[in-house]
Amino acid sequence: MLRRILLPSIFLVLAYGFWISPDFKTISAGVAVFLFGMLSLEEGFKSFTGGVLERLLRRTTDKLWKSLAFGVVSTTLMQSSSLVSVITISFLSAGLIGLASGIGIIFGANLGTTTGAWLIAGFGLKVDIAAYAMPMLVFGVILVFQKPKTAKGIGYILAGMGFLFLGIAYMKDGFDAFKETIDLSQFAIPGLTGLLIYTLIGMAATVVMQSSHATLVITITALAAGQVTYENALALAIGSNVGTTITAILGALSANVEGKRLAGAHLIFNVTTATIAIILIKPFATAVDGISGMFGIAADDYTLKRAVFHTLFNLTGILVMLPLIGKLVTLLERTLKAKAKHISEPRYLTTSAMDFPDTAVEAVRNETLHIYENGRDIIAAGLYLRPADLTGDIDLAERVAVPVHGSPPDINSAYETRIKPLFNAVINFISKSSFGWEQRQMADLHWLRDANRHLVEAIKGTKHLQKNLALYVRGDNPYIRDEYNQLRLQIANVLRALEQARSSEDADVAILALDSIRAKLEQSDDAFSDRLYGLIREHRITPQMGTSLINDTGYTYDIQRDLIEMAATLFAGPEHELAPAQHKLTLDEDEMAEALNEGGGPDEPETPPGKVDGA
Amino acid sequence: MKTRKLLDKLVTYLDGDARQRKKERDDLKAVLKKLKRREKKLLNHLKDEKDGNRQKTLKNEIDIVHAQRKKGVRLLKGTPD
Repeated sequence: MLRRILLPSIFLVLAYGFWISPDFKTISAGVAVFLFGMLSLEEGFKSFTGGVLERLLRRTTDKLWKSLAFGVVSTTLMQSSSLVSVITISFLSAGLIGLASGIGIIFGANLGTTTGAWLIAGFGLKVDIAAYAMPMLVFGVILVFQKPKTAKGIGYILAGMGFLFLGIAYMKDGFDAFKETIDLSQFAIPGLTGLLIYTLIGMAATVVMQSSHATLVITITALAAGQVTYENALALAIGSNVGTTITAILGALSANVEGKRLAGAHLIFNVTTATIAIILIKPFATAVDGISGMFGIAADDYTLKRAVFHTLFNLTGILVMLPLIGKLVTLLERTLKAKAKHISEPRYLTTSAMDFPDTAVEAVRNETLHIYENGRDIIAAGLYLRPADLTGDIDLAERVAVPVHGSPPDINSAYETRIKPLFNAVINFISKSSFGWEQRQMADLHWLRDANRHLVEAIKGTKHLQKNLALYVRGDNPYIRDEYNQLRLQIANVLRALEQARSSEDADVAILALDSIRAKLEQSDDAFSDRLYGLIREHRITPQMGTSLINDTGYTYDIQRDLIEMAATLFAGPEHELAPAQHKLTLDEDEMAEALNEGGGPDEPETPPGKVDGA
Repeated sequence: MKTRKLLDKLVTYLDGDARQRKKERDDLKAVLKKLKRREKKLLNHLKDEKDGNRQKTLKNEIDIVHAQRKKGVRLLKGTPD
């Protein structure tokens, strides 16, 4: 009900305002153009999330100071702490970064956002900013119409900045003209009441406009025109800082618990900082005067002094909260508990991970790894092995020789509960995220869906294999038992080799390591066929057993091949931008046979002209 | 830097295909570097390995990595700068 009448009411109030005051119209148009500029800027930066941002985030979040610096720099560049928080939440939900790193980025973003105050106060109000806006808009819009993605992205950023500047110019003009007709500063409220009321106004304005920058610009332009007092402007700055967290909270509603914790950290940081600023407003004002004096800022240059205040209280907040990050993480983990995820529930496929192509691909990759881990355990159980047998370093040949007892595991029901719901969730997620994306991420998703399919095939193969395997590994005929133990050993060896390829130091070339596993598969398959025919000829096993063994050898081969195919996509590792290059170097059947027959040896491959370090 | 060189750089930057080709070459070089390291490591393992079966497995692995490197160098020669 409230929502239904709110928008028409806002429209009515604005229309009335436009009717009675042309200056109010100019100011409001300025805010609208400014916000449109923010939207355009966000659009521009989003088009660069296809890899660059992801790589940057990975490299800049391993240490706290790096996360902080990333927050400061990215927010300074993008001029939107909200966008940085939403991206961070999205990356955190997709499992790309940890909570402590995320908190570091958010703290940094709070400091980075204060650079906006400096730019506007120091530059925006002193020069004819509209003169800069015009060429930016023209160049920006021309670039937006270009085909290449980079040009389009730069176009959106330029146009966005042009609109921001234009919006600021409109607001400035509006306030300058406004002061001749109405003096808003007569509504100034001194003392603590004023401080609290203006903090609330700043908060509300930021929540409505979804941008602390918009509040900031209005405050600074109004301050420059003398429409708000310096003290009230400080309170507005405090309020806008708290109000900005609302965007992060809205962003976190669709995120998983990690994203919610980050939004919680953001809220705690900003509320704490605001409380400190309100309590210590007097010492802060004195410190601002001192610092301003040191940097040669005139005592009556309230716009720059306000920028000093904004930076100072955010810096104080960071200094106070930084040593408490560990405790903050513990507190958030304790209060916002992760719902105990059932093994069959998706862990990474959240709505917020769908926001950016890279996070969506990463979420699907992580979820597929989750399915793989479940699938590996099901296959191990089907082979009468424990998951630890595959990851540890016990001798697998000895392990499979241990007599098997007990009833066979129910692979069907394990598949229905631990694989199928996750597989369905992945397919659903991919189908929902597949619009308007650039080609590379779509191709990644296609391959990941294929990896899932191979895994499902491998599990189904294990189910087929298990029918005879359960009979013969527990039976009396030692020959057929040995043969089936060999089948178990082959699959177990592949699973272990995959685990090693995935976790070794060479994980970044895991795709190429699969060639060796593939080669072993082809060799062992030949040897196995020879032995099988020998056994039938020598009447060690019945022809019926032989037929079963022939079929099951086929299943075993298919299971291994499916597992290797799955790994070729899934194990691209943290540097999966190298995956296409690795795929180019994988050997086909002929090349593999040639390599193994020739025994390439240690002679160095001929280096091509131009230095090739690695060859 | 001469104007011509600067212009060439600008043309390369603006030409999406050329940039893509450069990235492909750089990625190939990076993978080849990693493979070289891996082959060296496997050769060291082979030197220390006494078990005949494992020696054979390692030997095969080395042959495969070597063939991959050869293939990579061939590809690099074929990719224009």
